[in-house]
Amino acid sequence: MNNSAHILVIDDEPQILRALRTILGGHRYRVTTARNGEEGLALAAVEKPDIIILDLGLPDMDGIQVCEQLRQFTEVPIIILSVRSNESDKVKALDHGADDYLVKPFGTEELLARLRVALRHLVKSKGEPETVITSGDLVIDLTRHLVSRSGNEVKLTATEFNLLAYLASHANRVLTHQNILNHVWGIEYRDNVEYLRVFMSQLRKKLETDPKQPVYLISEPGIGYRFITES
Amino acid sequence: MDTIRTRSLFRNLLGFALAIITIAAATGILFLLRDRLNLSTIALLYLVPLLITTTMWGRWIGIFSAFVAFLSYNYFFLQPYYTLVVHETQDIITLIIFLVVSVFISQLFGRARAALKAAVDRESETTRLYELSLALAGVSTLDEIASVLAHKINETVHTDMLELSIRPVYGETPYRLSIPVDNRMKTQPSVIIPLETVRAFLGEIRVWSRKTSLSSGDQKILRAFAAQAALALERTALTHAETRAQVLEESDRLKSALLSSVSHEFRTPLATIKAATTSLLSDEVSWEAQARKDLLNAVDEESDYLNYLVGNLLDMSRIEAGALKPNKQWNILSEIVDNVLVRLHRTIGRFRLDICIPDDLPLVPVDFSQMEQVFINLINNSAKYSPEGSLIKLEASTQNGKNLRVKIENEGPQVIPEHLDRIFDKFYRVTEPERVSGTGLGLSICKGIVEAHGGHIWAENVPGGIAFIFTLPLELDGHSPPQIEEAENI
Repeated sequence: MNNSAHILVIDDEPQILRALRTILGGHRYRVTTARNGEEGLALAAVEKPDIIILDLGLPDMDGIQVCEQLRQFTEVPIIILSVRSNESDKVKALDHGADDYLVKPFGTEELLARLRVALRHLVKSKGEPETVITSGDLVIDLTRHLVSRSGNEVKLTATEFNLLAYLASHANRVLTHQNILNHVWGIEYRDNVEYLRVFMSQLRKKLETDPKQPVYLISEPGIGYRFITES
Repeated sequence: MDTIRTRSLFRNLLGFALAIITIAAATGILFLLRDRLNLSTIALLYLVPLLITTTMWGRWIGIFSAFVAFLSYNYFFLQPYYTLVVHETQDIITLIIFLVVSVFISQLFGRARAALKAAVDRESETTRLYELSLALAGVSTLDEIASVLAHKINETVHTDMLELSIRPVYGETPYRLSIPVDNRMKTQPSVIIPLETVRAFLGEIRVWSRKTSLSSGDQKILRAFAAQAALALERTALTHAETRAQVLEESDRLKSALLSSVSHEFRTPLATIKAATTSLLSDEVSWEAQARKDLLNAVDEESDYLNYLVGNLLDMSRIEAGALKPNKQWNILSEIVDNVLVRLHRTIGRFRLDICIPDDLPLVPVDFSQMEQVFINLINNSAKYSPEGSLIKLEASTQNGKNLRVKIENEGPQVIPEHLDRIFDKFYRVTEPERVSGTGLGLSICKGIVEAHGGHIWAENVPGGIAFIFTLPLELDGHSPPQIEEAENI
């Protein structure tokens, strides 16, 4: 894989910047760092990075604000890296344009996986959208409305299919409850998380080998769900 | 106002009319008996109706009656009959006596009546004051005191508008109460009475009355009320100060318990991390691949544990601050439990697990993450105290379809019955702190979360172990669990 992608890290903690520069550099990413929101926004405009890693607690402005301002001129994937572990903070960041959210302290593997997802999404969004999504033994054909597991067709109801298709076309990215409800059921259902819970449980029973330890349909407690296509 | 004047005029006219009727009746009776009575007896008997009218209706009607009585006496009984001619000095004397008797009696009665009224007033004043102090004794907050005071003033004194303003004494917000509520008077109040004690000025009572000024009696009772209320306010302030002092002392005690627990707890994983990293940094030993991996795993695990401790502290401070507002939604209990089991796989790998959640369990109204925290803490607690390889059992059921009941049972040591409640207290440990790790906050966090959900949690000794049980109402905003149909309509 071509790892020379350019990452802009906006964080005010020198220790974190040092660690990230070492870790990401070690994985052959090009790293630029900014110590505050102002500098981050300027660098994002000038350097045009491929991914931005953003801390929420910056000395000059709130990370959410930075997120909003970035979204005014760039579609670059933004991964939030923050000590704030509140669901409300996560949902807020995702609603304001962030693509993903990782809580400090974080594992390097986790961060690298999220970076790969963001990069792949970036490549994909430039080309034609995928019509067939594969994950392990699961194949989802979006145009023909067909789902198969190890070559055997899985019968899904219309809502189950819509739900799966929406998650799968945003594979590996966390989608908030409201976002999913909004797209699959419609705006008037945006607060009825129970629909999501029940249909997600049905989907897991049909698609997962062990519905109690799902590998495709992962809960992000208090935030939403994520469809996984890689381990 | 006009109606009052009309009414008093009417009452006066009625008095005059009744006086005339009384005298006329007396005259009639005397006229019938005139043959059997001599003149001086008749004059004497006229004093009876005179007495009646004076005592009943006061001085002016008394004097008026005296004239009427004299004229009747003159007209009907003195010769020449049926004329009003005064012949003799003796008749003049009769008239004067009538008048003197009326005035004298009326004054006598007036004084007696005034004395009686004063006594009644004093009694009612005492009663009002007694009622006020009785009502004030039962209340303890600023606004309760204000409303009792306003209520009693309104009952006692006629006011057009009343305003109480009370200064904060101990951190409360300033309080203002007006009756009627939104009627802002632009004029100066008729009376301002301060609420003050020897120590402090606590506020004031402002009274507006359309009469030019309140009577001195009213002012006097208002002042007495103000003194009572000021005392009640001061008492409240003192109680408040005392509770605050107690709370501060208690929170101080908790803080030092927390600090000692935390510093001890944090040093242990930090010691492991420091030892592992300094070993790896050392040039003296070249570590084998397996040894390096062991040391790094230790660092990884211990930093996770540190993070868990910090999370516990944050949860506790949120519970303490009352900031733990569960975002309740209809959730599937088994999804929450499954999530927890995946997260705790390292811990529970050392135990046998028996999870029993019926498939037809209704949706439960909980905050997903907070409920995860409850299960994590209860399972961690079970794991901490139970022998390795023992059984941890989790059971969920409904009680009459109204409550969710969850029981987590382990084969750990039992707790003496008197301590079963106290294990949910902060920093309470059955065993010595040195022997078991943890902040001593886990169970109190569970309690905080379950109670914030409107439920209860307790512990019971069961054969061969201990069980933690919690119940939660299966109701969200007055609705029972929704049934989500598989039927498709999209």
